[in-house]
Amino acid sequence: MATKRIGMEGSFAIAEAVKLANADVVAAYPITPQTHIVERLAELVANGELNAEYIPVESEHSAMSACLGSSAVGARTFTATAGQGLELMHEVLYVASSLRLPIVMTVANRALSGPLSVWGDHSDVMATRDCGWIQIFAENVQQVFDLVLCAFHIAEDPSVLFPTMVHVDGFHLSHVIESLYLLEQEEVDKFLPKYHHPYALNPDKPVTIGAFGPPNIYTETKKPQDIALRASKKVILQVWRKFSELTGRYYSPVESYKAKDADVLLLVMGSFSETAMMAIDKMREEGQKVGLIRLRLWRPFPFDEFRQAVAQAQLLIVLDRALSFGGPTGPVCSEIQAALYPLETRPKIISFVGGLGGRDISVPTFEDIIRRGMAKAKQGRLDELEMIEVRE
Amino acid sequence: MEKDETIEIRWHGRGGQGAVTSAELLALAAINEGKFAQAFPSFGPERRGAPVLAFNRISNVGHIRVRAAVTNPDVVVVLDPGLIYITDVTSGLKQDGIVVVNTPKSLADIKSELSGPWKLAVVNATVIAREALGIPIVNTAMLGALLKATEILGLESLVEPIKERFGPRAKNNIDACHRAYEETLMAELSVVGQGPRKAFETERLLSWQELLPGCVVIEAGNAKQYRTGDWKSQHPVWDQQRCIKCGICSLFCPEGCIGQNKEGDFEANMYYCKGCGICARECWTEAITMVEET
Amino acid sequence: MESLAIYAPRLVTTKEYLASGHRACSGCGEVLAVRLTCKALGRNVIIVNATGCMEIVSSQLPYTSWEVPWIHTLFENTAAVASGIEAGIKVLSRKGGYSQKTKVVAMAGDGGTMDIGLQALSGALERGHNFIYICYDNEAYMNTGIQRSSATPFGASTTTSPAGKISIGQTSWKKNMPAIAAAHDIPYVATACTSYPFDLMNKVKKAMKVEGPAYIHVLSVCPTGWRLPSDLTIKAGRLAVETGVFPLYEIEAGKYTLNFDFPQLRPVEDYLKLQGRFRHLSKEVVAQIQERVKAEYAKLKRKVIQGS
Repeated sequence: MATKRIGMEGSFAIAEAVKLANADVVAAYPITPQTHIVERLAELVANGELNAEYIPVESEHSAMSACLGSSAVGARTFTATAGQGLELMHEVLYVASSLRLPIVMTVANRALSGPLSVWGDHSDVMATRDCGWIQIFAENVQQVFDLVLCAFHIAEDPSVLFPTMVHVDGFHLSHVIESLYLLEQEEVDKFLPKYHHPYALNPDKPVTIGAFGPPNIYTETKKPQDIALRASKKVILQVWRKFSELTGRYYSPVESYKAKDADVLLLVMGSFSETAMMAIDKMREEGQKVGLIRLRLWRPFPFDEFRQAVAQAQLLIVLDRALSFGGPTGPVCSEIQAALYPLETRPKIISFVGGLGGRDISVPTFEDIIRRGMAKAKQGRLDELEMIEVRE
Repeated sequence: MEKDETIEIRWHGRGGQGAVTSAELLALAAINEGKFAQAFPSFGPERRGAPVLAFNRISNVGHIRVRAAVTNPDVVVVLDPGLIYITDVTSGLKQDGIVVVNTPKSLADIKSELSGPWKLAVVNATVIAREALGIPIVNTAMLGALLKATEILGLESLVEPIKERFGPRAKNNIDACHRAYEETLMAELSVVGQGPRKAFETERLLSWQELLPGCVVIEAGNAKQYRTGDWKSQHPVWDQQRCIKCGICSLFCPEGCIGQNKEGDFEANMYYCKGCGICARECWTEAITMVEET
Repeated sequence: MESLAIYAPRLVTTKEYLASGHRACSGCGEVLAVRLTCKALGRNVIIVNATGCMEIVSSQLPYTSWEVPWIHTLFENTAAVASGIEAGIKVLSRKGGYSQKTKVVAMAGDGGTMDIGLQALSGALERGHNFIYICYDNEAYMNTGIQRSSATPFGASTTTSPAGKISIGQTSWKKNMPAIAAAHDIPYVATACTSYPFDLMNKVKKAMKVEGPAYIHVLSVCPTGWRLPSDLTIKAGRLAVETGVFPLYEIEAGKYTLNFDFPQLRPVEDYLKLQGRFRHLSKEVVAQIQERVKAEYAKLKRKVIQGS
């Protein structure tokens, strides 16, 4: 294993992982803040450092469509997008998962128009929640590198064959330079098996992919898709375990921080988690029994791990970085509520929305969120959705 | 049919024959009479010539809530003479139900082909339509036959909807409807048939466990199992004396179902032939004639 | 009629790559065009099909009519999916895992090509992928029930351009898609029609040999949507060519060739009167169409004479 810690931008770390995975096809359309990823990949291909075809498509819709084609012919396929680009891909995403094509995509998470905003939040992710992809959140540049590598392994496992998104907060992770450990090519080659799609398009064995489903069979096509996506968690755990044996870095569907004995838990996703840890540390020093939960695996939703992680808590404060207009709470929070509702004993749940369109959340703001959450819980104000730091 | 309950009707036709129009006109006529009614097609990918279904529900009482397909009809109407041999038109038909069939055959002949606890109504709607409209579109004629057989609506109630729908062609359609009403013959079917009832092919549907990941189909060309020969209302016949064995019929066949047999004669595989007539039209020596299905 | 030996049909392979048992309308000109195309393509292809009639009639789970590898994903992205497959084959064959000779063939209808799929097609042609794109043009959205597209001819009545008391039906002229394809400076563009089967198959074979994008625009008679008896499919296509409504030509590296020249074009009325979709047209409108057809044909002939 590479022992030298080096500095690298998040986007370049993604490109490095794709290069080490020896991806065959990259089809992408530039969009801020994803551009550095694909620029770097184009450069690697141009310099012969990555033996791949780079398709500079004319839209994100075509990017994902080209990925369908290359993946279906048996090529290891990568793309990246953000915000509006993910929305333009929307209908194609469902086809990728239903055809079981293991495309790997990083999403440099970005707010949705309007007004136009190129900056980060989770509106784009939440709009694609039900598209049948495996969805994983990264929190720092090291994780970005690790999780993209693992994503190929997970997606292409013969029992999985699902496309996989790795969520990387736009700018906060895509454009930050941090230190990380890379892997050697031989290590990656040993870790990552070759991609072989059992029903790839090939004249030697003609298959029909994408036949249509009338009412007498459509339901039968959907049930195994859902079962297989849920079952992919087993492989996800295996791959992350295998990765930890190689690197010593452990990943779990639900990550905890000082949560074991905590009465109050804060839940965040993505790059804000490390900032939130600082707030937890500070409040712990003050003697508050607070902790942090980070959802790493968004789909398939890790029900067991999540319920276990919050079982001891009295209060769970959820920070969403997206709105569900006119809906119950933030989109993550309403899933959390649904996940916990069947349990006899469960923590109270408070919903906050913040960090929209690239707005930062500082350590003191996280502390404030926790304090306000605790106060609201005491007052019984559980059904309120509160947007933080809105100027009046 | 005076029961104070919803009457359910299933129409059997072929794509392009107007079964859906029949159902729609019937519902509109019923609503014009102050009744409550529904009409809807069974949506499917089948094309012109393929067997299709349409449905009606008619009630004297109130708004009809059920939207599911009619599976236990009180009445079935069969627009195409050939359909009774290829689909189970009486499937689910209620005891004392009525089968209304368009057929060139006599009442006695049809009676020997259908049996069950039902009434039968027959009419030669194809001839009526040809004479009244100039084309064999039998939907309005079959509406007349249906009303004769069931008396669920007054014949006059159909006039307005037909006028609305057909504009300048309405009068001929009303004539077809009236004439069919007059010429429809009724009989009781015998409960036990003379011969064994034909067993119809039912497609075996796959379970979810049998589908491959991504619903890939790995058996290339397995649509060969699917019979499209049932769609035709006419079929080609070769005069081998006139045939010069050029093969243009084979080349122009959209089904790809014309080939040479062991004797070298060209023939169509009737399992697939949809009876389009291109082969007969394009034959250089006019060696092919299209013959009506009987 | 194509000038051909009377026994030429016998020389065409009896091997079918589109199996019988498909659910196309009786007399469908498009499925016939696809069947003939496939005979010319042979087995070493991957077909990418847009949503539309051909997809629906040839692939209903758990059945397929396809004897060659085939994929359908969406309506507007056929050329993009083909791009991905072509790139995949290229890189895999470079790395030693695939036969580079496999040709990618995209198939779509007029709506999927000229309307909703135009952007993806333009992108793929511009990038220069080595593939054939075939537009089976039946001049409306037939799969959804005869709605107008940008391929619908002037004066045709469709369900969304209906002829009415104050309307003649479609009021715009058919979009010149082959010209748009040719504007991308691709090596091969051709028009073809099912009624000229040998010409169609030859053009497909030619396109197979092209390195880079090839575009073939096939007029595919739709008896259901054009409202004509199913046995007149071939005759209608022949009249489209003989009247100059749909001339058959090729553009090879920018050079125009007219494959069937008719010094004396038949009157367009011969073609129009066959079809219910034109039944409502007045003499004046027919004359207007005749003028346009003449002018367009002359324009095409000028290009042929000038060479480009």
